[in-house]
Amino acid sequence: MIFNEEQSMLQDTVRAFVQEHAPVADLRAVRADVNGPSYNLELWNQLVELGLPAVALPEQDGGLGFGYMGLLAVLLETGKTVMASPLVSSVAAATSLIQLAGTDDQKSLWLPRLTSGEITATVAVQEGRHYSLSAMQTQLVGGEIKGSKSMVMDLAEADLLIVIAKTAEGKLAAAVLESSKADFDAQRYCLMDGRKYSDLTFTQTSVAPGNILGEGADRTAEIEQALNIATIATAAEMVGGAESLIERTVQHLNDREQFDVKLATFQALQHRCAEMYCQLELVKSAVFSAFARLDRGKDIHKAASQVKALANDYYQHISNEAVQMHGGMGVTDELDVGLYLKRSRVCNQLFGDAAYHRERYAKALGV
Amino acid sequence: MSDLNTFREETRAWLLEHCPESQRQPIVKSEQIWGGRNRKFPSADAQSWFEAMSDRGWTAPTWPTAYGGGGLSAEEAKILQQEMARLGCRPALYEIGIWMFGPALLAFGTEEQKLEHIPKIVRGEIRWAQGYSEPSAGSDLASLKTKAEDYGDHFLVNGTKIWTTNAQLADWIFCLVRTNPDAPKQQGISFLLIDMRTEGVSVSPIELISGESEFCQTFFDNVKVPKENLVGELNKGWDVAKELLKHERAMMSSMESMSEKEEFSLVDLAKQTLGVDAEDALNNAEVRTKIAALDMEMQAFAQLNERMFYQHKAKQSDPRLPLLLKHIGTKQLQRKDELLLEILGNKSLSWESPASSHTEHTVTRNWAFDKAHTIAGGTSEIQLNIIAKRALGMAS
Ligand SMILES: Cc1cc2nc3c(=O)[nH]c(=O)nc-3n(C[C@H](O)[C@H](O)[C@H](O)COP(=O)(O)OP(=O)(O)OC[C@H]3O[C@@H](n4cnc5c(N)ncnc54)[C@H](O)[C@@H]3O)c2cc1C
Ligand SMILES: Cc1cc2nc3c(=O)[nH]c(=O)nc-3n(C[C@H](O)[C@H](O)[C@H](O)COP(=O)(O)OP(=O)(O)OC[C@H]3O[C@@H](n4cnc5c(N)ncnc54)[C@H](O)[C@@H]3O)c2cc1C
Repeated sequence: MIFNEEQSMLQDTVRAFVQEHAPVADLRAVRADVNGPSYNLELWNQLVELGLPAVALPEQDGGLGFGYMGLLAVLLETGKTVMASPLVSSVAAATSLIQLAGTDDQKSLWLPRLTSGEITATVAVQEGRHYSLSAMQTQLVGGEIKGSKSMVMDLAEADLLIVIAKTAEGKLAAAVLESSKADFDAQRYCLMDGRKYSDLTFTQTSVAPGNILGEGADRTAEIEQALNIATIATAAEMVGGAESLIERTVQHLNDREQFDVKLATFQALQHRCAEMYCQLELVKSAVFSAFARLDRGKDIHKAASQVKALANDYYQHISNEAVQMHGGMGVTDELDVGLYLKRSRVCNQLFGDAAYHRERYAKALGV
Repeated sequence: MSDLNTFREETRAWLLEHCPESQRQPIVKSEQIWGGRNRKFPSADAQSWFEAMSDRGWTAPTWPTAYGGGGLSAEEAKILQQEMARLGCRPALYEIGIWMFGPALLAFGTEEQKLEHIPKIVRGEIRWAQGYSEPSAGSDLASLKTKAEDYGDHFLVNGTKIWTTNAQLADWIFCLVRTNPDAPKQQGISFLLIDMRTEGVSVSPIELISGESEFCQTFFDNVKVPKENLVGELNKGWDVAKELLKHERAMMSSMESMSEKEEFSLVDLAKQTLGVDAEDALNNAEVRTKIAALDMEMQAFAQLNERMFYQHKAKQSDPRLPLLLKHIGTKQLQRKDELLLEILGNKSLSWESPASSHTEHTVTRNWAFDKAHTIAGGTSEIQLNIIAKRALGMAS
């Protein structure tokens, strides 16, 4: 439930790095380069040098053994400056997919290259407007993928693309494609958070048996688990963002004077900030608990939905309040707060919106 | 096996041996055991369970053994709590002496005061009441007027306290009194212990919206209080009060987990009442969503408490987090009550009529009673003021 000494030191290291090298201005540069990469490649290489792609995995899989709590420490910090990086797409989602669902051969083929940062990977899971595993249509039958995917992160930079699809039996399967060679259509676009996403169409993309994770064995549970990990990783980044927004807002209210007093002295604003802070600590506690469960090998199906629904609702609320309390400045592009506002809405759609997760949670609760 | 594992095994075995089956059923309010000179036990089982626990000092698990407490570490106390919860053991003693007054007396009392009062609290021999609020001093507690004048060997107390929970049943009351009317508000207050049997003390009950009459106005008319009943230094009572308030707020935020009252599984009650469809989903989609949303937040609150526990254990406590508990916990409890009412429909609208069941009446009474939780012990608005200033550092 709390960081151990190594994880705390890791957090300090990443915090120092991010604050110095990856301020929000970096995201603005990524956003301005409309046809450029989805994240700053140079910065990513520096994170690779810190060993971050290997942070969560156990040593026998080539990881550094910080545990997923280590990844949490990283994501809380990158979230604070809305830093664009493949930490969710490649490190949390794709790497855990291969580690959990891959055969030994598949793991030894891909994991060392992923953990060393030599390559990155991304995952195509979402379809249409709303993320929903149960509504998934894309098929992997007879060695061919048919269907379409939406909102795939960081595809242009990714060496591997893992496509989640349904088998003829309705099970989940994950096919690993070399993104530059595989045969599919991709349409790349920017979303309002300044990052690039792609929609994909697979007409008859063939997949060699050795490229299907588990090579024929049913890996539904492992795939769901990897997606749970990606879900809580997204939430962790959101918590970092929400924390930064509260700090920025309180700072602004403590600085600005109107009616001859600091804005922070108005109780109408104090109480709303206090409520925002309660929400922050609640969702942060939920996120810590989910990552701790993950490291202890406990089920996180329900926890993932709890954490994501709370993060969605709270970040949405906190970002709205932050804009409002900045007054006229709050609706300018120059103020960083707007970037968090937009990032929160994009994150809402990644790995499931609040309605999806409340529904999933209700099922798990037995109502 | 680590010491804590041994402790867990031994505790479990001890509880199994000493907690009768009847004391492992959900508690009903009429069977709660409170402290007091006139204490009565609802059954022989209840008495033997209470005595087993108090003999071990486990009615106050972390208090020093020198005063009759259990002498357990925080980790051991948590294990005891977990094992009691696992077996469904009823709390052995309900008493504000345990929750609030004892910890403050341990921090501020003299050796004589501790030896005099603490063991009696542990053994449930004395019931305590809290005399803080006055008709004109609520949130602004420091403006209190009840005065204690120095008459050499004793104080003479005059004034009135209000909202004194269970004053009609209490043996002793700890009071905040004004001992220096000329000093700035907080610096003229002292903390005094008063025996309710003293001449000049009287109480008059006040009926609540839940139909119960659990609190009183308490009057002090020329009440003589011995000097040795002063806790802490003269005019430094505010420090004692603040220490006590910390425990009070922590206690109130966990009202629900303490199962002070009968509790209901929201999920079970909703399913029984509203029915389920072929896929076992609740027939009412709106209520289903509300249950999921509330349950997530209640889980998060439990996780916040758990995180604080681990921070404490690692000596890395974040001092901001305790400030959040009362507001969040009481708000969630009220949301749960409202949802229960919504589920029960028109069966939730009485607490006595033959048209509703015992469970329905209890839900309704809890709903009405729990309105008090966002008021008592520092209102929610006051909590938010504190969070804004002390946790967030907002200018005032
Ligand atoms: C799109 C847009 C168009 C505009 N067009 C014009 C225009 O054409 N001409 C023009 O002159 N101005 C214009 N304005 C300015 C607008 O009137 C101000 O933004 C507005 O009055 C708020 O002032 P502020 O931005 O300085 O915020 P601040 O006054 O700094 O307020 C910041 C926050 O503090 C809160 N706050 C302030 N005082 C209190 C208080 N006493 N109690 C509680 N909370 C308080 C506010 O509600 C807000 O949430 C425009 C603004 C916008 C956004
Ligand atoms: C069930 C119950 C049991 C109690 N038991 C005891 C007891 O045993 N002993 C005891 O001494 N007292 C007890 N109390 C009293 C309790 O401590 C007071 O009710 C509480 O402190 C509020 O004071 P008040 O009722 O005078 O409300 P007020 O202080 O008059 O408050 C009225 C409203 O104004 C708001 N308000 C007040 N000040 C501010 C501010 N600065 N900013 C914003 N809003 C503000 C409050 O939040 C509240 O909503 C009990 C109360 C209840 C409900």
